[in-house]
Amino acid sequence: MTPQCHRPGAVFDPKDLRRHILRMAFHGQSVHVACAFSLVEICSVLYSQFLRFDPMNAVSPDRDFLILSKGHGVMALYACFREIGWLTDSDLDAYFRNGTHLRGLCEADVPGCEVTSGSLGHGLPIATGIAFGLRRLGIDRRVYCIVGDGEMNEGPMWESLLFAAHQKLANLTVIVDANRYQAMGRTEEVLGLEPLPAKFEAFGFATKECDGHDPKALARCLSDLLANGSRPGALVARTTKGHGVSFMEDDNRWHYTRLTEHDYSRALKELS
Amino acid sequence: MRDMLSQLLVEAAAADDRFIVLSGDHGYALFDGLRAGYGSQFVNVGVAEQNMIGVAAGLAKVGFRPCVYGLAAFVPIRVLEQIKLDLCHAKAPVILLGDGAGLVYSTLGVSHQCGEDVACLRPLPAIAIYSPCDKFELQACWAEARRADHPSYIRIGKADRPTVHDAAIADTEPQWTNRRDAHNHERLIVAAGSMTSISTAIARTHGVPCLSVPRIKPLPPSLMAAVQSHRQTIVVEEHARAGGLFSALAEELASAESLSGRPHLAHLGLSGQFTSTAGSHEHALSEHGLDDAAVNRSLTAWITARPGQMS
Repeated sequence: MTPQCHRPGAVFDPKDLRRHILRMAFHGQSVHVACAFSLVEICSVLYSQFLRFDPMNAVSPDRDFLILSKGHGVMALYACFREIGWLTDSDLDAYFRNGTHLRGLCEADVPGCEVTSGSLGHGLPIATGIAFGLRRLGIDRRVYCIVGDGEMNEGPMWESLLFAAHQKLANLTVIVDANRYQAMGRTEEVLGLEPLPAKFEAFGFATKECDGHDPKALARCLSDLLANGSRPGALVARTTKGHGVSFMEDDNRWHYTRLTEHDYSRALKELS
Repeated sequence: MRDMLSQLLVEAAAADDRFIVLSGDHGYALFDGLRAGYGSQFVNVGVAEQNMIGVAAGLAKVGFRPCVYGLAAFVPIRVLEQIKLDLCHAKAPVILLGDGAGLVYSTLGVSHQCGEDVACLRPLPAIAIYSPCDKFELQACWAEARRADHPSYIRIGKADRPTVHDAAIADTEPQWTNRRDAHNHERLIVAAGSMTSISTAIARTHGVPCLSVPRIKPLPPSLMAAVQSHRQTIVVEEHARAGGLFSALAEELASAESLSGRPHLAHLGLSGQFTSTAGSHEHALSEHGLDDAAVNRSLTAWITARPGQMS
């Protein structure tokens, strides 16, 4: 399977994806807008150039896996699902309505979401198990796992890195959405993480670092990591929380703030 | 019982190449047979139990049938959230083996003792809980867990107790370990796991019926029927009172009709299932019959019911 979209023009344009996110967040009065914005380009590049999937079937048996360990960014996934056709505009508009299926964090029973995450530190161990299983089966399917830099506070993340490196899971690529914020403040102020690329290297990962909002740089790094022989890959994507809308950028209030009609239209204007 | 466990692991590995055992650096000689014959189906993931559960969930997602081994103090206690989210919510067909449950590690102290594992797991949706008393019950529990399409926990207590049953048993329903010789049918002894052999011996001495309970969740209806047909029951288990087999029975009994025809103690609370949809808090409550309207209906029915009307 090669990456494909069932609708011509569905190119995972970051502006479109951010508009989908805003639409959901406004209609559902959801928080976590900035958490989703920081990984939009990462998702865009993965879906448009790397992930093999079936536009007609989110759980096709030969798909590549995208595991969103950082469940707080789930609206970026939903936005991609809307581009693919797994979700519709009506699904976005009905976000958080009683009896609907899209939750505010990643849930395994939503086709395409793969795992239940949002309680942090769960997605990467599962991604590692999937990669381990696929390798044992000798199947050429890849596993991409998006984690948050704040999420790297969690112990199981480091357990997983040890395991993935020890087992030489070259079919696993970990992408850190390094937006330098976590819920209560700057990542470096809460629990210092740097130098993160050096830590991945020391753990046995082939490691790259780039501007996480530059699609070309992301694609180049991901390609390099895929070409890397026997080690699992890690890409530290340097991002900005809230990227794409000027009044949200690098402002942690947009982890928690709900969109008013005024802010919604201001934000949409910037993305038109 | 350990020899049987070792044999079951080898048999499963031989029969099914999707069967894979993960251990968090525990088990030592238990895995000798497995490692000798089917070494590639045994993975020591290191002293990293949280990752181990996630890896098992990932393996299950691509078609494997993992079995995760640990001491009960760690699997399930240390990894409870991983079991809830990675296994139960995903309904992953993973078997958890919690060895040394109860006070088996008496000399090592509190860190390795575990009297709360059943209590921690019982509220979780989708998981079955077993507490076999001997090799025959272990065999039956294992067979059922291997067939399941959801997670299972098998509690392994003190393994060198005398064998209780004479031969293999057909299923995990409650097993009479003393009935034929019983003459005192006022009282019933219900035992689980490591407490079954001693309970059975004493029951035989006094001519009291004794029932062994290999499966704690779902609680077998026949166990309730047996308890209700005796005037007094005592539960013997190497587990805390809160949340174990006693607690499970007490909850069922409280909900069942008392002699007066009304439950002495009724419960209106969460259903024991995960919520399945998004929405308001009131909507989430409605999935469990706890929204204001449903509480009104249930409480009104409870208040106005005549004896015998409500169960």
